[in-house]
Amino acid sequence: MEEKKKTTVDIDEALYRPIYETGKGFYITVGVLLMIILFAAFMYIRQVYYGLGVTGMNQPVTWGFYIVNFVFFIGISHAGTLISAILRLSKAEWRRPITRMAEVITAIVLAIGGLHPIIDLGRPDRVLNIFTAGRLQSPLLWDVTSITAYFTASTVYLYLPMIPDIAKLRDRGGKLRWFYDFLSWGWQGTEHQKKVLNRAINILMVMVIPIAVSVHTVISYIFSMTLQPGWHSTIFGPYFVVGAIFSGIAALLIVMIAFRKFFHLENYLKLIHFRYLSTLLLIMSLLWFYFTFSEYLTGIFGAEPHEMDVILYKMTGPYAIFFWGMVICNFIIPVIVLSFKKFKTIKGILFASITVVIGMWLERLNIVIPSLANPRLELSTGMYFPSLTEWSLFIGALAVFVLGYVLFSKFFPIISIWEIEEGREESIKEVEERVKSYLPGPAGTTE
Amino acid sequence: MNGEEKKFHDKIIYMAQLASISFIWIFVAGIAVWILNLISISVDLNDAPGASIGISIIAIPVFFTLAGILTYVFVGFHKKNNNIKE
Amino acid sequence: MPKWAMVIDLDKCTGCGDCMAACKVENNVAIVSPEQAEENRVMFWMDMMTIYEGEYPNIKVTRIPKPCYHCDNPPCIKVCPVHATYINPEGLVGQIYHRCIGCRYCMAACPYTAKVFNWYEPEWADEFKTCMNPDVSLRMKGVVEKCSFCAHRLQHVKEDADAEDRPINDGEYMPACAESCPADAIFFGDLENKESKVYKLSRSPRAFKELEDLGTEPKVIYLSKRE
Repeated sequence: MEEKKKTTVDIDEALYRPIYETGKGFYITVGVLLMIILFAAFMYIRQVYYGLGVTGMNQPVTWGFYIVNFVFFIGISHAGTLISAILRLSKAEWRRPITRMAEVITAIVLAIGGLHPIIDLGRPDRVLNIFTAGRLQSPLLWDVTSITAYFTASTVYLYLPMIPDIAKLRDRGGKLRWFYDFLSWGWQGTEHQKKVLNRAINILMVMVIPIAVSVHTVISYIFSMTLQPGWHSTIFGPYFVVGAIFSGIAALLIVMIAFRKFFHLENYLKLIHFRYLSTLLLIMSLLWFYFTFSEYLTGIFGAEPHEMDVILYKMTGPYAIFFWGMVICNFIIPVIVLSFKKFKTIKGILFASITVVIGMWLERLNIVIPSLANPRLELSTGMYFPSLTEWSLFIGALAVFVLGYVLFSKFFPIISIWEIEEGREESIKEVEERVKSYLPGPAGTTE
Repeated sequence: MNGEEKKFHDKIIYMAQLASISFIWIFVAGIAVWILNLISISVDLNDAPGASIGISIIAIPVFFTLAGILTYVFVGFHKKNNNIKE
Repeated sequence: MPKWAMVIDLDKCTGCGDCMAACKVENNVAIVSPEQAEENRVMFWMDMMTIYEGEYPNIKVTRIPKPCYHCDNPPCIKVCPVHATYINPEGLVGQIYHRCIGCRYCMAACPYTAKVFNWYEPEWADEFKTCMNPDVSLRMKGVVEKCSFCAHRLQHVKEDADAEDRPINDGEYMPACAESCPADAIFFGDLENKESKVYKLSRSPRAFKELEDLGTEPKVIYLSKRE
């Protein structure tokens, strides 16, 4: 009886519910997050007023948490669009409940990450000099360009597949009708419209992959274009891209597990989804280790003195705890947890994902600080202790991420409803035919 | 909502949508102008103009393609709608 | 076109630090508080590298004055996003304080860590405020600064030479550090002028440059029998 009633409303009612039902928890969450963000904003204004002296940066460690977090957040942003595009492109049917969540991560985190270099500026009031007197020769401007392109592309890529769902919300009536009406772009679900939308999504997903790869490559270029030991490495581009996808998948898994719990989406996000994604995470972990191993082995074997200073600073010096912590978090724990089916439960995957996110943050820390702390000339080695300002802006940035996600889920379905429907209605047949087409035909036939 | 009101409502929404599409084009054009400005500066100062031009060759078409896709979708959606009404 | 260069004779240098003091006064370099100095935020355009070798009591101390090396191929100007640092035709690497956005990329890219940053609004004791050098503009918080080879002095020298319609004499343009050195260890002049003292010293067998293999082509040349 209960079951029947549900089907007359909508099979996917569970996906609409969070948009229309607002509990106490929502207001408390938003309130707490806003408080954190306000405090971070206050600390930032204080920093602008007094100068960058309120941070822990110094000479020679001229870059600190802000640049570390910049690289980290932009890395996380690769979760979304890239993974979603790859899954769409490879026609992985299990992608359907995942893509939207992934794309939202990208849009929000990219905005946060993109702001970090501006937070890092000593004279944010002069940031417009980039427009009037910029130099495209500077890797920082490459970043500005590619992050803008990626942000535009990923927002479009988030928005277009959302149009049919927005139209569904519009047709339901209720709150914010004009808003959904505006955003749905007159979607009626006609054949022609579907064709147009599919074609646009197909073009976009091909386009978005090289843009995403370029973004993190260019971020690595900020470091590898300089002559500093530990940075000046040809491997940095792919190394950063691999790390970015790695941390992105982990962040995506955490978000998925959180929403599954709070929105009761167990029916949509099944263990199988987590298992598939975590296999991808395991592969990236091995790939990450391969890159890290290559990077450090070449440094150690060549034993160029300045290079060695940096490597020893990481391996046995003050950063040993962060370096080996990174190896444990990024390689040892995920490989142990994700290799055995016994551990590959939701809890196990959550644990591995959290360690990977921490580990990848440590990796960024290990890349940025030790190279700066060990200048080539015979000066004393530098040390860096982040101040309260930097910590609060870090936590503030995380709060902006959570708030952005919570607000998004208040206005839009977090799982693509029309793609789930499409999956139910069409793709089972389609997949059957596709699989048949892989198999050899009757004996004697050739194409 | 009666017919008259709905018509007015639809018109306002349509105008707003048109405005948002043109905003995308203004944004993209702004980026192109910015990059071209930087190229002219780098040519003036003889400061690696080749690199600047190289970047612009990649960057500008990317932005225009993105705006083009959005416009294509918008136009594509509305074209069919009118046909149905007729 | 002249190419200004500095020669520092480490065999003559006593490591007294007079060049550092002269530089600070000449260029209105801010004096940071002891607490800030603790945090590695001291501002020197002319710094002093101190290298300790060996164990107590047999310590060998080497002191090496370190200004900006005014590289011919400067890594700092390549990375600047806003043209705030540049190399002029005479080989001087300059910094435009009013354009700098404070991203500190040049500091990160400089292999010699020659640049310093204004972490706070620069401050001077009252006694200093009355005797600022009017030729050197004051910096504001949030910008990068560095040794300019006392480029403002070159302006004066050029004006004098122009007025008298003669070329600049060797030794006429001297940065404050070179002028003040009590051991006469710092020389300054035109590397293109084959008659100049700097040119002759730069050909000395004792001459070397810091991190020459990086290809930055620094224009500060050290002389030393050791090393």
